[in-house]
Amino acid sequence: MKEIRGFVGKEGRPKNVGIYVHVPFCLSKCHYCDFCSVTGADEAKKDAYVSRICSEIGDFADKIKQTGELPQADTVYFGGGTPTLMSAEQFARILETVESNFGISEYAEITAECNPRSIGLEGLSDLRGLGVNRLSIGMQSIHDSELRMLGRIHGSGDFLGTYGTARKAGFDNISVDLMYGIPSQTRETFKKSVEGLAMLAPEHISSYALTVEEETNFYRRRDSLDLPDEDTVGDMYDDMGEILAKYGYHKYEISNFSKEGRESRHNLKYWTYGNYLGFGSAAHSYFDGVRFAHSRDIDAYIEGKGTIIDVEPIGKREAMNEYVMLGMRLSGGIDILDFKARFGEEPLCVFDKIRQYSPDFVEITEKRCRFTDKGTFVSNSILSDVLDFGE
Amino acid sequence: MTQSDRMKKIRNFSIIAHIDHGKSTLADRILESTQAVSKREMEEQVLDNMDLEKERGITIKARAVKLDYVAPDGEQYVFNLIDTPGHVDFNYEVSRSLNACDGALLVVDATQGIEAQTLANAYLAVDADLEIIPVINKIDLPSADIDRARNEIEEQIGIVAEGCPAVSAKTGLNIEQVLEAVVRDIPAPKGDENAPLKCLIFDSYYDSYLGVVVNVRVFDGKLRVGDRIRLMSTGKEFDVVEVGMMEAFGLCRCDELCAGDVGYITASIKSVGDTRVGDTVTLANDPAKEALPGFKSAQPMVFAGIYPADGAKYGDLRDALDKLQLNDAALTFEPETSAALGFGFRCGFLGLLHMEIIEERLEREFNLDLITTAPGVIYEVKLRTGETVMIDNPSNYPSADVIEVAKEPLVKASIITPTEFVGGLMDLCQDRRGIFNDMKYLDSTRVELHYDLPLNEIIYDFFDALKSRSRGYASLDYELKGYEPSKLVKLDFLLNGEQVDALSFIVHEEKAYSRARRTAEKLKENIPRQLFEIPIQAAIGAKVIARETVKAMRKDVLAKCYGGDITRKKKLLEKQKEGKKKMRQLGSVQVSPEAFMAVLKLGDDD
Repeated sequence: MKEIRGFVGKEGRPKNVGIYVHVPFCLSKCHYCDFCSVTGADEAKKDAYVSRICSEIGDFADKIKQTGELPQADTVYFGGGTPTLMSAEQFARILETVESNFGISEYAEITAECNPRSIGLEGLSDLRGLGVNRLSIGMQSIHDSELRMLGRIHGSGDFLGTYGTARKAGFDNISVDLMYGIPSQTRETFKKSVEGLAMLAPEHISSYALTVEEETNFYRRRDSLDLPDEDTVGDMYDDMGEILAKYGYHKYEISNFSKEGRESRHNLKYWTYGNYLGFGSAAHSYFDGVRFAHSRDIDAYIEGKGTIIDVEPIGKREAMNEYVMLGMRLSGGIDILDFKARFGEEPLCVFDKIRQYSPDFVEITEKRCRFTDKGTFVSNSILSDVLDFGE
Repeated sequence: MTQSDRMKKIRNFSIIAHIDHGKSTLADRILESTQAVSKREMEEQVLDNMDLEKERGITIKARAVKLDYVAPDGEQYVFNLIDTPGHVDFNYEVSRSLNACDGALLVVDATQGIEAQTLANAYLAVDADLEIIPVINKIDLPSADIDRARNEIEEQIGIVAEGCPAVSAKTGLNIEQVLEAVVRDIPAPKGDENAPLKCLIFDSYYDSYLGVVVNVRVFDGKLRVGDRIRLMSTGKEFDVVEVGMMEAFGLCRCDELCAGDVGYITASIKSVGDTRVGDTVTLANDPAKEALPGFKSAQPMVFAGIYPADGAKYGDLRDALDKLQLNDAALTFEPETSAALGFGFRCGFLGLLHMEIIEERLEREFNLDLITTAPGVIYEVKLRTGETVMIDNPSNYPSADVIEVAKEPLVKASIITPTEFVGGLMDLCQDRRGIFNDMKYLDSTRVELHYDLPLNEIIYDFFDALKSRSRGYASLDYELKGYEPSKLVKLDFLLNGEQVDALSFIVHEEKAYSRARRTAEKLKENIPRQLFEIPIQAAIGAKVIARETVKAMRKDVLAKCYGGDITRKKKLLEKQKEGKKKMRQLGSVQVSPEAFMAVLKLGDDD
């Protein structure tokens, strides 16, 4: 990476970095899923994969050291797939490797994604003991019929079991994933899912609208899926906001709600233009102004073949556009002072265009620029006018 | 050999048939059997040499080919096979091609019998005073009924079919009988090589090296290189550069063309517009007293606006139309501007098929994305001032209060259908404001219907409706009858209160409400939701007769931004931006070219 550098602000390389580890193993593939994942990997394969991750972490740290100061990890995120299909020993190896190469800050947020039924009390306690202090559980819906529709292998009872077990194992920072726009889902069934979940009071809720992606089971059946229409999905989003506000959650990003102070620090790195390094197949990185990613080929990754693809140095103008695109996902929008500090200029090129939209959609003050609730849900339409990534 | 001896050995003939009855296949077999083309060389259907024709199985432009035939008795003959277009849009071209002949092979599919175009073409051949030889084709098929086909030919057309060749052009069975019939039954050309020159132009095309190549049949006189020729309809004169014959694989120059010959002329002519099909070529210093009869300049009957989807391609579109016009004198175009679509052209076509062919060639050969407005016809409007105007563009249609009387073109239509579909087709014609003339039984199973129909109803998906109501069995033929007074109105569409000129069309008063509703619904389906609500209104003058609403957009957001994959989201926004660039801005409303086309496309929802 040392020859290729994109735009880096005046302050240079930040002292902290987020570490993402992709764990592509699953018990079965859900009908909507187009993430990089495989089912039926045996222990030997998982072990080889973990070994490869560890050596990649080492190699990377060595390279980065040659071009400047090594940043410390202040967030670690195990995403998947289903990371909890790894053994505690495998988690431990990875965390130790991160620790020995980058160092993990004392206050680091260490998250593992987890699916109901993939792990029990002992496993969760072990994770907690290893320093994993945040769990993200894929609930998606509290209705068994909707879970079956999604091709999930768990039922609502399984979720409640895993959630309770996680509390018992000492997790006091839990995030739960919800989905809306599911085939056959109605406003009413979604409201029940939201309300039911809010009553459990997890610290954080991520809620995603289903999108039918290519190369998924849903895509193949796309013409026969009974998908809620655009208006219903819009209503669902509004309903969710209202209910969660009532239960003391604040929406800090388009799809993310949390109790005070419980925002996902790792995900905030993506939206506030922080540095992150992704290890494992299909993992994405942004470091020293360069974006790069691994291909989705898991076997090639294990064999240590060069799977880094799409190396893209981000120039200043593009970085400014990205900064706006990402920052505008946050409810607080973008911090104009931070923008100036980073890029040494006012974000005029973008703001002049944004200002043409009605205050129904965007709010601009001296300090911040943000989408209103109404604007948030149609933000692509506005951003695609305002931003310019072309050369 | 004297010219009159030579003439005795010439046979000039055409093959005529209903579409799909095997005209081109028979032509192939004749080419093979006269050794003009070996089987190996023949790609398939040499006469149709445009890709589009091969795909559609139709012949767009006439072509001719000279063949040398050695009869079983050892006599050598020259066959000039003149191909004809097979669609009603090109009726005039067909008639001119037939006039260049002395006889015609009338191909009838033994499984289908006579169809509308069989009759129409047979009548044209009779009009041209041709000797007609029926050829019954596809006798290899199990459902072939040769006797029925013979009977129909004798009863419907009134020509003797007893002993006529019954063949399979596909397998080559009995093709020699066809060749012998050509020699025996088609008369040798008559004409006087010493009389003043008279050549009939039956085709012409532009060649980038030779200029316009004019295909002619010489009736009287002689033509040599260096002669100064005159085109009798325009009086324009040119010096002949080259004359020759059309061989199977290209032009073959010779010294002179004489009475009875079919050949080509080049004379540094720049535009096929100067060499109109049906015109007479004579010598400037010894002109014929009168031209050959029947010349008409090609009259476009169907008009539509054609616009580049990408406004920057206007120049390319103009160049492409120029090039197509080099070879197609029937295509007309002039620049027009639309507030909605920008700069484009109002184009005139012989008919819908002609229009489709032009569109397809523009898109395929010139790589253009087009937006085409709804096809319309030319209306004759008499104003209260006494002035009469011809209107080919709805935008120019005068407002109701200044119109004394508006007239629309009517056609005489003939529909041949199995009896079981008669009811449905009569309903269709009724619905399309047809006036019933008569109905004739062709035999116990088939009927020929005659209607007068407004042309603007025919160009509005009539053909598709005809096919769907007859499970594809009915066939249609029509010719222009004239103009009749009609209660016409101009229907306008407004998006967000602003009129979109490209969507306007002229329609009969009775049809206005249903067409307005359907178009408004289609607009609603096809206009993407935007940040604000968009009212759609259909109006006659100031009176709104249909309305719909496109609701404001609710959701356009990428909810999941997974694992720091920013590139994917960027690509999505870029794609969206690209899409928007192609959008047409109609006042405050953005509409994609695809949406426009979906709305303007002829109704497929009947």
